[in-house]
Amino acid sequence: VVEGLALLDLGVSPYSGAVFHETPLIIYLFHFLIEYAELVFTITDVLTAVALYLAIQDFNKVVFKKQKLLIELDKYAPDVAELIQTPMDMHYIPLKVALFYLLNPYTVISCVAKSTCAINNFVIAFFILATIKGSAFLSAVFLALATYQSLYPLTLFAPALLYLLQRQFIPIKLKSKSFWLYTMQYASLYLCSLVVIICLSFFLLNSWDFIPAVYGFILSVPDLTPNIGLFWYFFAEMFEHFSLFFVCVFQINVFFYTIPLAIKLKEHPMFFMFVQLAIISIFKSYPTVGDVALYMAFLPVWSHLYRFLRNIFILSCVLIFCSFLFPVLWHLWIYAGSANSNFYYAITLTFNIGQILLISDYFYAFLRREYYLTHGLHLTRQDGTEAMLVLK
Amino acid sequence: FQDQAEQFLRSGHTNNWAVLVCTSRFWFNYRHVANTLSVYRSVKRLGIPDSHIVLMLADDMACNPRNPKPATVFSHKNMELNVYGDDVEVDYRSYEVTVENFLRVLTGRIPPSTPRSKRLLSDDRSNILIYMTGHGGNGFLKFQDSEEITNVELADAFEQMWQKRRYNELLFIIDTCQGASMYERFYSPNIMALASSQVGEDSLSHQPDLGIGVHLMDRYTFYVLEFLEEIHPASQTNMNDLFQVCPKSLCVSTPGHRTDLFQRDPGNVLITDFFGSVRKVEITTEALSLDPDVAGFESKFPEEELATEPLKYAEQLPVAQIIHQKPKQKDWHPPGGFILGLWALIIMVFFKTYGIKHMKHVF
Repeated sequence: VVEGLALLDLGVSPYSGAVFHETPLIIYLFHFLIEYAELVFTITDVLTAVALYLAIQDFNKVVFKKQKLLIELDKYAPDVAELIQTPMDMHYIPLKVALFYLLNPYTVISCVAKSTCAINNFVIAFFILATIKGSAFLSAVFLALATYQSLYPLTLFAPALLYLLQRQFIPIKLKSKSFWLYTMQYASLYLCSLVVIICLSFFLLNSWDFIPAVYGFILSVPDLTPNIGLFWYFFAEMFEHFSLFFVCVFQINVFFYTIPLAIKLKEHPMFFMFVQLAIISIFKSYPTVGDVALYMAFLPVWSHLYRFLRNIFILSCVLIFCSFLFPVLWHLWIYAGSANSNFYYAITLTFNIGQILLISDYFYAFLRREYYLTHGLHLTRQDGTEAMLVLK
Repeated sequence: FQDQAEQFLRSGHTNNWAVLVCTSRFWFNYRHVANTLSVYRSVKRLGIPDSHIVLMLADDMACNPRNPKPATVFSHKNMELNVYGDDVEVDYRSYEVTVENFLRVLTGRIPPSTPRSKRLLSDDRSNILIYMTGHGGNGFLKFQDSEEITNVELADAFEQMWQKRRYNELLFIIDTCQGASMYERFYSPNIMALASSQVGEDSLSHQPDLGIGVHLMDRYTFYVLEFLEEIHPASQTNMNDLFQVCPKSLCVSTPGHRTDLFQRDPGNVLITDFFGSVRKVEITTEALSLDPDVAGFESKFPEEELATEPLKYAEQLPVAQIIHQKPKQKDWHPPGGFILGLWALIIMVFFKTYGIKHMKHVF
């Protein structure tokens, strides 16, 4: 950002160098605030935590209401009393979420490093707040801002839409007219705000060259500086004529899980949002630990799944060890010269595998709990013996 | 008259140089170092002095911790022949053997700080033997597992040498896999090239030594060396015999050679023209007078009396200005239309969400 602003002071477009890939709104924001950068990032993080707190508070009310409705409708099996969430358990969850975000070492590291990931997290947190409060307009505006910042929150359109439909009590049937009407409304709000923001950015610099510099950069991954993601090593090793194919494959991988997850998790859009956020932060082209911090902040919301999680020890060990090994192997590779990129990439792979294991574990636990809720805790087979749930 | 004609047909070189390059690192490439050192020994035995040999070895096998017989490099199994010894002069060792250094040696574009032993100080009457060994492929030769030299680069380097008159005739021998591809692109005159295998073939190693644990030599170089053992400084063996060395039955790969750029008939080219250092001696009966002119030697240094005051540091660096510098004025400001549009949008969103009735609280 400093480079971009310096280039602007020299009278040159900030995107003419290969360093600056932020959107024009960031230029505008930091033009005035660059001297107080630390304060800006601290305030951003605090506001994100506040937004998450308010969002989860509202979400808990929604969850509790839905639970009550389902109990009264007798949708639950008789022996699942211990699985039902009580207000007593859920009382401290918003506070825990805010604290998980603020005290997460990843968040602290991002803030100290003054990574613009904090601003991305801020916008996504406000988007989640707006969605949970039910305001389609604000939610579309913030989603457009989030997509404008980094392209991947586009996939959060689906969970937000599902949540808003649920809130309006519109059933999700493909033939239902009200479903399509609402979808069209929301989609048009979103697209219009996106178009408005992009046109506004055009007027900042009177040129469209921010589009290839921001979105072309995210999609075509030209810069292969090592990060905690999966892209850089593959593309460093690849021959030129394959790179287009593999870029497409890798980018499709981010967007690919939206539709299957939407079909499976259409009753539970918030969990879908959580899983989608995690998928974005693992598979995006330039991930940072700030993205990881954002979805980890949501873990207390699903703390009632604790008894169904299977890999807690392994996961926490993998994530903690990898977090410690990242700087060690980086130092060994770059400064000491006694390791090479394979070591660092091994840790990257392990870290991402740990994250994927985390999501799949939570996914499995969630689905298992849903199954138990509707079918009872003590499952019996047809001949009366004890049965077990297996994930196929 | 016949003598003069014979003189005309003989090579017109007056000095011999050898550039011997081993491009492989690591213990398991012992045989490449042994190859190069064996050729080095033969070439020295036939008369080329160390000052005219540029020896480039990418790794040190004699002092490798895995060498069970330290300070030795054997080229024959049962440890018969130690080619390392006490008087090996390696000019480029270890990481100095790079493509850049090799090309600089060949073309002479060396930084002025390079010592004489690392330079190829050939002139237009030099016959140069260039021997390269290592791992190669179709059109390239691998240097130290990290870079490669292509046949085009090599051909261009030789052309530079020709244009700078750095050689009279050049013999290029290469012992790598698909070695013939390296001499395919030569286009400068007076180059003869030999390779241990054709394109698409691999050059194979000769014999492993169970005591040392690695292969000691490559087949082609082994048979070339057997051939060279019979050569002495006065032998009249010619190049056609060298082309017959190592037929396919012994070498498994098909050695190749290229003589179309060479102006003499290979049958007239002696082995010692390249591998040895045969000095031509001309006996003359005339008397030459050497009369240096020592008397007229004037010093032409003008008397320079520049009256300069010594400059103080503080005067050259405007310290006072730097300390009291004001923060830089920013030259760029966002355009007014943008600010207006942005804030209008923000206010619109705000009021859409919270309703117009809040306006009275604002005002």
